[in-house]
Amino acid sequence: MSDARKDAAEEILERADASLLEIVDHVLQKGVMVTGEVMLGVAGIDLIYLRLSVLLCEADRIERR
Amino acid sequence: MIGLYAIASSAAVEAVGAQGEPVRAVDCRGFFALVGLPPPLLSVEALRAHEAAVRQIAEKVEACLPARFGASALSDQALTDALDRRRAELTEALATVRGREQMTLRVHGQTAPVLGSPGGGPGTRYLEERRRARKLPELDPLRAALSALVRAERIERHAEPGLLASVYHLIDRGASESYLRAVQTVQLADLRVSHSGPWPAWSFAPEVAEP
Repeated sequence: MSDARKDAAEEILERADASLLEIVDHVLQKGVMVTGEVMLGVAGIDLIYLRLSVLLCEADRIERR
Repeated sequence: MIGLYAIASSAAVEAVGAQGEPVRAVDCRGFFALVGLPPPLLSVEALRAHEAAVRQIAEKVEACLPARFGASALSDQALTDALDRRRAELTEALATVRGREQMTLRVHGQTAPVLGSPGGGPGTRYLEERRRARKLPELDPLRAALSALVRAERIERHAEPGLLASVYHLIDRGASESYLRAVQTVQLADLRVSHSGPWPAWSFAPEVAEP
């Protein structure tokens, strides 16, 4: 992998707030323990996980090109 | 209802909760449950605030088992009863994380194909794949470089294309710079490793309270 491609992958991770993705993974991982079904129904939770997954795929695609 | 931030070896004096409230220590005879207001609705801000509160607590105590966002109990008594049932597990986990912090590695790449050994049948290949899935031998050069620093390791394999695994390492507090330097010395064939930390020991904490 060239340095330029590696830089691009890392830039995507940084631009999309990698620190937030790490926080989501650490703070929510192993199943969310919420206080009731109401919170589980919040659409944002799917969005956050989806964003994490999509982002990591993007970085990987850049590497393999 | 009360919200739980962490189980800790001592009361985190003057810690502030995710909603600006003072963190209160519930004495559980041998360790403390650090509690505050009930968790708010889930949002990015709420997650950040929870993480910040736990991070602050972890900096004030020797041993901290972070509680996930949303961990809560109906009352102090309900919480202490629940924790008492898991006393042995929690005490052991507190000993493991004492004086330590977590580094997180994300391993990107494709897993190496399993080569069948001469005479190895489907069963042998299956067992080899299982072994490989657990241990991720592709990371052995990294393990060798980090062996003096890592006190415990947890690996999670992922199903996402390209994201092979997350590796969680427990290191002594203050060793993160040495850890990162060591990570950067290692080149892994066909794999890319990104790192973050130091974190409180999120991945070495048992689930500490029922919803």
